[in-house]
Amino acid sequence: MAGFSREVARRIFAEELKSSNYSFRDGEDQHQYAPQYLLTPTGAKCNRVFFVGVLTEKDDIGADVEYWRGRVVDPTGSLLIYAGQYQPEAAQILAGMDAPAFVSIVGKPNLYQTEDGNILISLRAESIQRVDEATRNQWIMDTARRTLERISILEKAEPAPLSSDFSTADRAFPATDQQDAARALEHYHTDIERYRRMVLRALTSLKADLSKSSAPGEERDAVRAAGDALKSAPDPLARPAEAEGEEGRQPPKRGRPKKGGSLDSWPEAGDEDEVETFNLGKKS
Amino acid sequence: MKELIDQISARLREQSIIVPDEEIEVRLKKLIDDFRVPEGEARRSVLNYFQKEHGVTPLARASSERVKISEIKEPGRWVDLKVKVVDLWEPATEAISQTGLVGDSSGVMKFVKWKKSELPDMLLGQSYSLKNAVTDEFQGRFSIKLNRTSQIEPLEEEVEARSISKRAQEMKVIEIDEPGVWVDLKVKVAQLWETNSDSISQSGLIGDETGSIKFVKWAKADLADLEEGKSYLLRNLVTDEFQGRFSVKLNRTSQIEPLDIDVQIGSQAAEFSGALVDVQKGSGLIKRCPVCKRSLAKGVCADHGKVDGTYDLRIKAVLDDGRRVQDVLINRETTERLVGLTLEEARMMAMEALDHEVVRSLIESKLVGRYFTITGPRVDRYLLVETVNEVMPVTESSVDELMSQAEAI
Repeated sequence: MAGFSREVARRIFAEELKSSNYSFRDGEDQHQYAPQYLLTPTGAKCNRVFFVGVLTEKDDIGADVEYWRGRVVDPTGSLLIYAGQYQPEAAQILAGMDAPAFVSIVGKPNLYQTEDGNILISLRAESIQRVDEATRNQWIMDTARRTLERISILEKAEPAPLSSDFSTADRAFPATDQQDAARALEHYHTDIERYRRMVLRALTSLKADLSKSSAPGEERDAVRAAGDALKSAPDPLARPAEAEGEEGRQPPKRGRPKKGGSLDSWPEAGDEDEVETFNLGKKS
Repeated sequence: MKELIDQISARLREQSIIVPDEEIEVRLKKLIDDFRVPEGEARRSVLNYFQKEHGVTPLARASSERVKISEIKEPGRWVDLKVKVVDLWEPATEAISQTGLVGDSSGVMKFVKWKKSELPDMLLGQSYSLKNAVTDEFQGRFSIKLNRTSQIEPLEEEVEARSISKRAQEMKVIEIDEPGVWVDLKVKVAQLWETNSDSISQSGLIGDETGSIKFVKWAKADLADLEEGKSYLLRNLVTDEFQGRFSVKLNRTSQIEPLDIDVQIGSQAAEFSGALVDVQKGSGLIKRCPVCKRSLAKGVCADHGKVDGTYDLRIKAVLDDGRRVQDVLINRETTERLVGLTLEEARMMAMEALDHEVVRSLIESKLVGRYFTITGPRVDRYLLVETVNEVMPVTESSVDELMSQAEAI
């Protein structure tokens, strides 16, 4: 069929992405090649994500072959990205990059459930590129706009009736934003106020950034942006979600000044083994 | 409601059952208004009720009913029809043994005969009685499916099918906005493409002063070939849609008339803003066929075989605004300006690296992940880029504006 259409790359802040735990395959028949989607709490149904932030750490965690992991920070939190032998171009670029730096990532969301039931969301990078601060700013505005759009749909939506997911499975129902919103509400009982505040927090940090945007040099900007992001992270509202994710694992303190939660939560080596075995085994 | 009642009472009269309309209405209303029963089910239920009431046992195949095509208004109904085959198309999948259009005095409708039905093929122009066919619906349009339980019987008498060609209307390309419409177009052939199926004799792009559209000419249509750059009056084409994009199909009922005038192909400049998320294969340094200007694959042109290609620089990229994606094509001049690399420099670079992919990598590193606003004419799924600009930097006031929007929600 000539009818291949590319999946749109959704815009989602790190905090929301990490609070997601609902993924499913979609398509007329749910065969193993049907595209996989992650539904986020505000109802973004994503098979692909476009993310821009500050790369704060990177590591080669592969055993035999190179397998790169990076941590990318936006004003709401941080996110792990991966690139291995199946994403050679992205892996090569990540390998050659020095943290901190502004980066853009186009990637597929990956959901991993640990043995004790925690769900970790990461991005498997299709492409990683170094960008400038202006692009990072565009992305915050862009993502804020898209998130607000989803929130306003969410506010008008009602949870889908319990049976609807199943009774419509064999019909080619158009998957509209409204349906995604209803589904998200049904699954997450989304606290809309929390995500509205998340957007406001991101915009406040961007505004603060713009008003003192005098520091020259990309590197210094990057460091400062990362710092800002960290300062804004420990918002009381953000805690419950993080507790469900990897942050809840009480990682070891690394002797950093206690600025915020994100960097401290670089996962324990033990955890990563599990994650990696899974990723390498699954992805091939 | 009135219509339903009339249908039911007519059906009952056929079986010599006379029931006042009011009684039918009461039962129908209760089902439809109070219990939200779908109309088809309600109608069946009411029919069955009165038949039972009058001691008429429903026919063995009680569920299928004689209808006219215009009466088909919902999916999942079992129907009997007397029709004439007015068009046959090439089935899109092997699961279908025949597909096309059937008509009666009330209208025409698409039909699909499944291979598994093991029913005999129908002939174009011949009239048939179709029994126990099931109605289906896709995007608001109805069709008739013939399956294992269906029957086809040739009819002696000819069924009068409402002529479909009368419905074709002269249109401009830009006015085409729904599938299944019969149209006449005055167009020029902009491009002819490789066809990838034996059932298609020609496909490509045609256009008039309002825009361009893809066309497909079926092999079975048995029509003369169109020539690139020539203008034609194309009669009785049927519009089609796939994933929001429209096309026109030339079939057996279509006609081609060459025109003396030269139709000008216009294009609406389109604009798209978003992040550039992909630089696709076939971007960067490429070789083109000196004859047809198409890009070569490993030095081979699809039409002209192995040729000495000429170098060119271009970008095939994808822009994405978080809601939609847009494919864009960037020509050499714009690519050179955007990337800051001339064709000559790109050649040197590729020669040094012994790999022309280095040019694509460079383009990726300069463009991917950035926000652009692009304008240019839209041709098929591509936007042919005339201007590219980086999106204006974010200002404090625009942040303020968005914050007050966020507060207001």
